Amino acid sequence: MITPDIFCVEDDPDYAFILEHAVKEVKNELTLGVVVDGMSAIEQLNNFVVTKQRPKLILLDLNLPGLSGLDVLKKIKETPFLKYVPVILFSTSDNPKDVKASYEFGANAFVTKPSGYTNLVDCVKSLHDFWFNQNKNIN
Amino acid sequence: MAETNLTNCDVEPIHIPGKIQAHGFLVAVNSNNFAIKYVSDNIEEHLGVEPKEILGKNISFFNKVLQDKAEVVDLENLLTLGARQAGFDIINPYKIKINEQPFYLIIHKSNGSFVLEFEPATLEYDIQNVIGKAVSEILINKSLDKLLTKAAQEVKNMIEYDRIMIYKFHEDGHGEVVSEVKNDELEPFFGLHYPASDIPKQARELYKLNLTRIIADVNVESVAISADSTVDHLDLTQSTLRAVSPIHIQYLKNMGVASSFSISLISQGELWGLIACHNYSPKFIDFKAREGCKLIGNILSSALEYRQVEEDTDLQNHYTARLNELSENLERDKVIVNALTAYPTTLLDIVNAKGVALVFEDKIYTKGETPNNEELKELFDWLKLTMTETIYHTKQLSTLYKPGIAFKNIGSGILACMLSKDMGELIVWFKPEQLQTVNWAGNPDKQIEMLPNGEAKISPRNSFATWAQIVANTSLSWSNTEISGVLKIREKINNAINKTANEIRLLNERLKLAYEELDTFSYTISHDLRTPLTSIKSYTELFLLKNNTVDEQGKNLLSRVLSGADKMQFLIDEILKLARVGRAEFELSKINMQELIDEAVNTSVAAYKAFDTEIIVSECPQVSGDQTLIGQVFSNIIGNAVKYSSKAEKPTVKINAVLRGEEVIYSISDNGIGIDVNHHDKVFELFKRMENVKDFEGTGVGLAIVKRIIERHNGRIWFESELEKGTTFYIALKK
Repeated sequence: MITPDIFCVEDDPDYAFILEHAVKEVKNELTLGVVVDGMSAIEQLNNFVVTKQRPKLILLDLNLPGLSGLDVLKKIKETPFLKYVPVILFSTSDNPKDVKASYEFGANAFVTKPSGYTNLVDCVKSLHDFWFNQNKNIN
Repeated sequence: MAETNLTNCDVEPIHIPGKIQAHGFLVAVNSNNFAIKYVSDNIEEHLGVEPKEILGKNISFFNKVLQDKAEVVDLENLLTLGARQAGFDIINPYKIKINEQPFYLIIHKSNGSFVLEFEPATLEYDIQNVIGKAVSEILINKSLDKLLTKAAQEVKNMIEYDRIMIYKFHEDGHGEVVSEVKNDELEPFFGLHYPASDIPKQARELYKLNLTRIIADVNVESVAISADSTVDHLDLTQSTLRAVSPIHIQYLKNMGVASSFSISLISQGELWGLIACHNYSPKFIDFKAREGCKLIGNILSSALEYRQVEEDTDLQNHYTARLNELSENLERDKVIVNALTAYPTTLLDIVNAKGVALVFEDKIYTKGETPNNEELKELFDWLKLTMTETIYHTKQLSTLYKPGIAFKNIGSGILACMLSKDMGELIVWFKPEQLQTVNWAGNPDKQIEMLPNGEAKISPRNSFATWAQIVANTSLSWSNTEISGVLKIREKINNAINKTANEIRLLNERLKLAYEELDTFSYTISHDLRTPLTSIKSYTELFLLKNNTVDEQGKNLLSRVLSGADKMQFLIDEILKLARVGRAEFELSKINMQELIDEAVNTSVAAYKAFDTEIIVSECPQVSGDQTLIGQVFSNIIGNAVKYSSKAEKPTVKINAVLRGEEVIYSISDNGIGIDVNHHDKVFELFKRMENVKDFEGTGVGLAIVKRIIERHNGRIWFESELEKGTTFYIALKK
């Protein structure tokens, strides 16, 4: 995988599909890379380190088969090359316990997955505005 | 009836009267050296020597005196023989002729003395020959009544007294004539009762030791006994000649009796009664005749014992069978009250009672004839206070418990059995009043006359004319069989209760597990449902956006799909919220309610823009609970109050609290739309919204969540409401 602008770990192919459309809707040039489980995520993260190419934003689903989103988050924050890439926990859960744990592990934001395409477009647009345009100095 | 005992009579030392009856004479010697210690004063009439002539002399001296008037006899040899055999049973009676008259010598040992008693041998009644036939006649009878009547008849045939009575001692010591055979001209005594003091306690003890007792002639003065020293009186307990107490002599005289003879009847080691023989002229029957009668007494005693045991066994078998049936009911029917009352054999059948009442789980159940519920409640309260043992019984309830007089005809006697004192669970059986007419032989209370100096004058009553007394407010007694049966069933019931309690506990455990599982299930399922639902919504939106060829109708249809998905999403979210209450961590603390309520009020006012609503908050005592969850409860209830009163003319919400023991009860009242009384029970159900709330936003989940939270706190929530008037919710929590 060539390092994308947004790296996403999402086990639901439907959601990944919709997300892909939403990203293109926000900005056609934006690239999205998706893996479906924690193991592939770790593998891909290692790849980024090897190729010295960081994604600009990581979207992490919390509930994943095998390794959980929090495990992946931990790995990211432990990897010096990646530790400053903004990681947004992207989950259906809005359970306060999950939110708390995510921040403890170093998440930069916790976003409840918007339902529906329109909402998702709005969400991605806002994320893009914040993390790509206004906070350019981060990258 | 006031208890009248002739106290003097009870302490009279009747076993050492210092006198003998006049029909015989007595000599007593030291059992070691055979020196003569006592002699009756009438020895002179029979042997022509004065007492002082022989007192202190050796038995051999007396032997010589005797031989002058009688045939050759070796008393020393007789005594040595008796001493060696530890008794004189084979020697007694020793036949001897004194002045050509036949006498019986009867010897017994009394403390340190051998007592030699000489009495006439009349040989009048040859009982040995008829006794076998008499006994078999008596024993033919199966019933106790006939057995006794026949025994009286046979005794009369044998010794020909004017009146033969069988006299039975009751529990309290008073006697009753239960059988009688008499000469025709005599007035009957059958059925008469005699007070316990007529035969005082120590007399009854003597009847147990001496199985026969003869009083030959009440009108003859008794004869004094002279002694060589005045230190000890001779103990005449075993004596056949023992003089009669002057009180008893007077008693017999008052009855017109000149001579009496009695045979003791012993059952299970106790004096059951007497065969009492009266004669209206002096009468003496000799030792052999008396021994024959004693044998009849023995045989009748064992027959009595056997019959009594047999009757007891029959009764016991009957109750044991009922008890077993009831125990089987308890094993078969888990509902204990049913097991005890709903089958052919009930609690009522295990004792001889007319009614039974059971308090179990705060309810009263009755069988048969019992006092009414009000009376029962009062009685139960009294028993709960009074009973210190598991079992309490009385045959005269009203003497101890005054209100009992109201139901004396149903329950003069009660047998109460405590199942659990903590729970106030007990069983009470009732025996009705047994109105008994007791025919006393004379007024038993008129027995003590006081002398002017204040001392009691001992005077057995003169009149034996029937004096009837009605014994009221008294039931039959409770037997040991009944009481032990009740104790047995108590154990069975308690076992059954424990078993049921264990089953309930197990069920409770399973229910708790199931509840937890349901929470987990609702949580997981709603979570998992969200993902595909999101897909449905997203694809539909994406399709609508990207496909320009869709016509208006197509768009319309797809927007229906979207709104359906939204609605479903909403419901799933609500279920998640409810499930979360069950799963939430629970942290107990003392909650500052003032703060919590202020916040809930502010949020509610803001949320419903109810700035016109007057909100009156009084006392806010603290409660124990989980801060977050209790906050949710009050936000919800206060929110509802604000919401549903928002369209009232002058919206008012009042929040108040009272302390009730360990609880704090909060009330939240509004003057809103109210809740239809027909839907009272649906209010706390999930997704249930009332008819009249259509104009208000809401989901029907709030109160379900509230109830769930209160339940987790072991609190209570309820409400009062009237349509168009308003609603008050009450929340009770531990303080």
